[in-house]
Amino acid sequence: MDAAALQAFLEASVRLGAPLALAALGETISERAGVINIGLEGSIIGGALGGALGALLTGSPGAGVLAGAAAGTAIAGVFALFAIGLNADQIIVGTAATLGGLGITGVVYQSVFGATGTALTLPTLPALPLPGLSALPAVGPALFSQAWTTYLAYLLAPALWYYLFRTRWGLELRAVGEEPGAADAAGIRVRRTRVLAVLGAGFLAGIAGAHLALAHAGTFAEGMSAGRGFIAIAVVVLGRWNPLLVLLASLFFGAASALQFELQAVFANVPYQLLLAFPYLLTLAALAGWIGRSRAPAALARPWPPRSGE
Amino acid sequence: MSVLTVRHSARALAAACFVGGLSVGCGGGESGPEGDALRVALLTSGPVSDAGWYAGAYEGLLLIEESLGAQVSHQQTRSPAEFDEAFFSYGSSGYDLVFAHGFEYQDAALRAGEEFPGMTIVVSSGGRISENVRSLIFRLEEGSYLAGMMAGGLTRSKVVGMVGGVAIPPAQGTFRAFEAGARVIDPDVEVLEAFIGSWDDVAAAREAAAAQLNRGADVLVHNTDAASFGVFQAVREAHGDEQPVWAIGMNRDQNDVAPDVIAGSAAIDIPRAFLRVASRFIAGDLPSGAFDLSLDEGVVDFIVNPAALHRIPAELLARIDEARTAIREGALEVPRIRFLEGESGTP
Repeated sequence: MDAAALQAFLEASVRLGAPLALAALGETISERAGVINIGLEGSIIGGALGGALGALLTGSPGAGVLAGAAAGTAIAGVFALFAIGLNADQIIVGTAATLGGLGITGVVYQSVFGATGTALTLPTLPALPLPGLSALPAVGPALFSQAWTTYLAYLLAPALWYYLFRTRWGLELRAVGEEPGAADAAGIRVRRTRVLAVLGAGFLAGIAGAHLALAHAGTFAEGMSAGRGFIAIAVVVLGRWNPLLVLLASLFFGAASALQFELQAVFANVPYQLLLAFPYLLTLAALAGWIGRSRAPAALARPWPPRSGE
Repeated sequence: MSVLTVRHSARALAAACFVGGLSVGCGGGESGPEGDALRVALLTSGPVSDAGWYAGAYEGLLLIEESLGAQVSHQQTRSPAEFDEAFFSYGSSGYDLVFAHGFEYQDAALRAGEEFPGMTIVVSSGGRISENVRSLIFRLEEGSYLAGMMAGGLTRSKVVGMVGGVAIPPAQGTFRAFEAGARVIDPDVEVLEAFIGSWDDVAAAREAAAAQLNRGADVLVHNTDAASFGVFQAVREAHGDEQPVWAIGMNRDQNDVAPDVIAGSAAIDIPRAFLRVASRFIAGDLPSGAFDLSLDEGVVDFIVNPAALHRIPAELLARIDEARTAIREGALEVPRIRFLEGESGTP
């Protein structure tokens, strides 16, 4: 691989990894609070459409990102209402949020742009090269000549790590995810903490979707989230519920996906299905070999207050 | 929302049939083309807002409604597990004709055909047939061959790329023909191929296209659904007046989807094909087995983008026209992948 190809590969890695990182960082907070939100996919597609519509209406991709974040939060709000407010099963409500998000975005998109669709050209988030850093060889342009939403992911990872492990609020949030009974006895408002964590995750997943539409694809299509919400959930496990490792795991997955496209061009005779499976196989290998004794928050997916008999 | 309503009422009816123990003879098998309005349904496994393969089918359904006064319904199935359920909902509520728009429906169609003998199922690019399950085969490779000639003539780097969704035989067929067309113009042209494993993943399509552009390709064709927007977007970003980079549309006339970068489209006139099938169904002379629609019938063609016409060499256009005539007259046979079971030449 020559220098230009290496740089193209690294850029593609970051492009593919950034939306995963945004969504997975939010999910990390939600899971640390004991809520597994598999409706993340719904928030991402909501964010993509919200971002597209917001950017088209205002002409400003930045306003699009805010609209996307709002849409992602709204879908997470529905999830929170049922999964936390009404104590329904998190997996079932999450599935409904995903299917509902995909369905509603389809209806809205078709009603605005016609049933047969069109290739929208959206105002895109420009790459903002960071002075100095973007001049580093190879990794400079890849890491530091990106849209601001990508930098947001870089900044959020250490900030969320500090919040989770070095602040009282972070400790309270983790307590809610480990021992909600004890947290409640200590005066922590378990449900409120969980609702806020879920809304925060929806907010970030919405930004991830908006990034996908406004910084990556430059257009919107129904179903363009294409399973990224579920991959983000796997990335949280790979990153051991630690925001710093989650960011690394997202970039790792992005790199594996980008490499896969390069490999298809080089190894024309290898069945492409094998190459498509490559990022997932690598993730499995990493999970098996590296993750060690890490474990999920003890109260993950357990409702609070417990239903009778649990 | 009307689609959802229809779907729900179909389900409710199916449930009522079950509850009443009347599943046999409830709906399906009794209402034929005569009597009440013809009831026609469409199944797609992706959104009809793809401005391509599924959009064309949806336009076909609406054309049947408008021209033949049929009562129509559409369902999007989200997973193969829903195929049987979707056929069941239409079979049990007495639909006469169901268009199952894609190769992926062929097995579920055979099962449904057996369960509902009164319902005729037409599977687009289907590889399996029975008494009431027919296959509608679009000879899109004829259009794709001409598109390949366009690519071979337009490329300056002598590298062209193909981005596909999933390597099902109908999609592979269009790529083989595209390759052959490009090599007729220039035997040395290098052809890159990538599949993204999805028909709708715009971001993945954009990355696959970007990887090919980075390897020097300057004409890209796709065979995907909504993911095509990602290919067009990647081409748009790489396109410059000094160094033009082109995209080629597929499945439906996509020239107006990205008029600034599309040189032309290998297109199926799906609405016309569907209307023809429905009309012959009403007349009772729908051919049994497979129904081929090709360039000769005017259903398949390569359509040059009028907005790009002035930038395409006249000599190249003339060669494409010659080849079109030769295909029509049978003088030129375009390479194809045969996937109809029992047909000579199938693997």
